Amino acid sequence: MRSPSFLLIVVWALAAGTAGAQVDFSGEWSPLYHEDAADRIPGPEIGDYTALPLNDAARMRGDTFQADRLSMVMQYQCRPHSADYGLRGLGNMRIDKEIEPLHQKLIAFKTYMPAWGSVRTIWLDGRPHPPEYAEHTFQGFSTGVWDGNQLTITTTHLKANYHRRNEVPSSDKRTLVEHWVRHGDLLTVVTWVDDPVYFTEPLVRSQSWLLDPGQQVPQFYCEYVTELPPVTEDSVPHYLPGTNPNLTEIAGWYGLPTEVLRGGAEKMLPEYRKRMPRPEKPAPAMCERMCNCTDFRSCL
Amino acid sequence: MSKQQRNLHSLVAIVCCALPALAGAQGRAPGGSPGGPPPGPPKTAREAAPVDLTGTWVSIVSEDWRWRMLTPTRGDFQSIPLNAEGKRVGLAWDAARDEMLGLQCKSFGAPAIMRVPGRVRISWQDDQTLKIETDAGTQTRLLHFNAPPTTTEDRSWQGYSVANWERPVRGRGVGEGLSIFVGNIGRAGRSLEVTTTNLREGYYRRNGPPYSADAQMQEYFDYHKEPNGDEWFTVTTVITDPKYLQGPFVTSTDFKKQKTAAGWDPTPCTSR
Repeated sequence: MRSPSFLLIVVWALAAGTAGAQVDFSGEWSPLYHEDAADRIPGPEIGDYTALPLNDAARMRGDTFQADRLSMVMQYQCRPHSADYGLRGLGNMRIDKEIEPLHQKLIAFKTYMPAWGSVRTIWLDGRPHPPEYAEHTFQGFSTGVWDGNQLTITTTHLKANYHRRNEVPSSDKRTLVEHWVRHGDLLTVVTWVDDPVYFTEPLVRSQSWLLDPGQQVPQFYCEYVTELPPVTEDSVPHYLPGTNPNLTEIAGWYGLPTEVLRGGAEKMLPEYRKRMPRPEKPAPAMCERMCNCTDFRSCL
Repeated sequence: MSKQQRNLHSLVAIVCCALPALAGAQGRAPGGSPGGPPPGPPKTAREAAPVDLTGTWVSIVSEDWRWRMLTPTRGDFQSIPLNAEGKRVGLAWDAARDEMLGLQCKSFGAPAIMRVPGRVRISWQDDQTLKIETDAGTQTRLLHFNAPPTTTEDRSWQGYSVANWERPVRGRGVGEGLSIFVGNIGRAGRSLEVTTTNLREGYYRRNGPPYSADAQMQEYFDYHKEPNGDEWFTVTTVITDPKYLQGPFVTSTDFKKQKTAAGWDPTPCTSR
């Protein structure tokens, strides 16, 4: 007869292990820019609000944005990507597991993105979100729960940032929900962003990442430098409403009707194609900008 | 009581404590019932479905808007990792010639159709076949479960698709039998995996970026429900085509479930 002691060990091992191992998202991941590559790498065109369910308040912020602000106003320099934009923007990602040593339970995933050295913790131990008045940060407060093979993450307490780098703003009232699914060496991250201040309905997008264990995600440097002398000490470069001359440039470059640039939820439905107006200027005969942009080398 | 008897009593006690924990572990295969009745006949694909993908779904165009809602300019292949030959062939795009040859559906094939703005209607054609109908281009995809990986049918726009409910991620070559000392939280498969081959050559977009007849497509359909009650699925698509691509072309496309078939609007394929 086999020793009961041996059986005891086996049964203990089986019992102890039930909460031990999950889908492993840890590792070094590279983003794939096979969607909206130019929007995400070099950056969006001024006045391009397509594919966003934004409202007039968001349009006003985008329309009055002048990029000189980044050169003259220190507070806007080295501003990190927030948790939601970071997933859409540029940069690789390392995911680490945080294990509670006594019970060997996975209690959190930590993500590091080199863009602005963004570190984020996704708690898996069931802790509640803090009260509304708690500090808001660029990475917010994230908790995750498993649903089958899917990790669903809810993030609150985000600081105001942007949904798109041409200054389509995001508010500190927004909630981010993510669904992470791993298929072999591929990670799909679906994001649902509800921003009651700047959106008329939640925005759903999805990003793809490829496991890339050979990479070393680097340190990030950003130095504050005043690149232009301020007109006055407290001046903030901007356009007054209705005076930005650059908002419709993109329409001519790509043969777009100017109406589509204003974005909005109704233009994200397939039926909008039927009532889309004709462009004011015909499209060029041949693509002239960002025609083969798919990654850092080809876009910059 | 002898030492051996005491150990046996301890063993029984531990087993009693351990079994509920084992049974409660997340990540069991759908329908798994350890300790339950003996297994009956294998479940059909429809019975084994861990998520319900049937219904009418609308593509919300939140990505690649300019390239999906409009016919892009000639040579605008942004975001597609075409190789030199792919770009050369893409630049030779001729919509009038395609129309003359009756090839208006070249940008409505399986590698493209889920990116075309429109609605899809998903239903079970039979217990082993999931059907995806699209109003854009009036196309039909058939996803064959428990089917052989190849077919003798002619090549077609939608090709031949083999489907299965994806098995959970696990170590390469390591089976269930080695799963001691570990649990399975978060490993229950609930994705639909589809492999498509036997395609006619076509375009990823209307302006002619090509895929070849040798292209292979792997898709993963993931269902998700949001805090406001909206139901979505996201299909992650991986296309390999050494003839025209530098490497895999990966997109993920999001569809929102409708309560009714409102907006269903069958339209024929067009080249422009």
